[in-house]
Amino acid sequence: MQRDIVIKWHFAHPPEKVWECLTTSDLVSQWLMKNDFKPIVGHKFNFYTKPMPKMGFDGIVYCQVLEIIPNQKLVYTWKGGPEPGITRLDTLLTWTLIPEADGTRLILEHSGFMGWKNYLTSIFMESGWKKKIIRRFGQVLSEIK
Amino acid sequence: MDPFQAIADPSRREILMLLTKDKLSINALAGNFDMSRPAVSKHIKVLYEAGLILIKDQGRERYCELKPDGFDAIKNWLIFFDKFWKEKLQNLENLLNQRNPKNNESN
Repeated sequence: MQRDIVIKWHFAHPPEKVWECLTTSDLVSQWLMKNDFKPIVGHKFNFYTKPMPKMGFDGIVYCQVLEIIPNQKLVYTWKGGPEPGITRLDTLLTWTLIPEADGTRLILEHSGFMGWKNYLTSIFMESGWKKKIIRRFGQVLSEIK
Repeated sequence: MDPFQAIADPSRREILMLLTKDKLSINALAGNFDMSRPAVSKHIKVLYEAGLILIKDQGRERYCELKPDGFDAIKNWLIFFDKFWKEKLQNLENLLNQRNPKNNESN
């Protein structure tokens, strides 16, 4: 089972120019999504897009900057779910820039699609949630009596 | 029994966790528990009926494995993001070309 996405792309521009577009919030919003990114390790930020209910996604991507090497490497978490506080997608984005004679090679790695581990975690979570609801329901019923 | 009831039992959760690593014969699964083989078989039947596992005959053994439906959500995300990132990187290339017209000649 495939667990990661790796995409390589060539730009006819030097790494500094590509880096600028990867790390300037206004520019990122032009080619990717609206965001409040800051190039600071530890900074928490979101991307905002259209919700996709069928995919269990409410339209907000929760991120945190993990690593910055100017003009070379940018790493941030990429998490999302059906509503705030519930994470179904717990992934990592790594942007690597490699200078080339005629521009830049970009390697984008989107990793952490864990398959069964996530699936089981989510069904176990839901089972806990359901038990709590049933317990609360029982309490309410006994109070009515 | 629905999947939620099926996984409410700790032994059944343990069986699922063992199967996340590899498919296992019913005998091999039973070897992980103190309870009797018929008791383990009963739990396996519950998991099977809840649609969480598959049981396949292989030689003289019956093997259990996780039912692949759980992969669908992950697979859908992988398909989605593969397309998503290619579109977005094309946007990025367009933006770079627009902002830095001089470098555009080599394209």
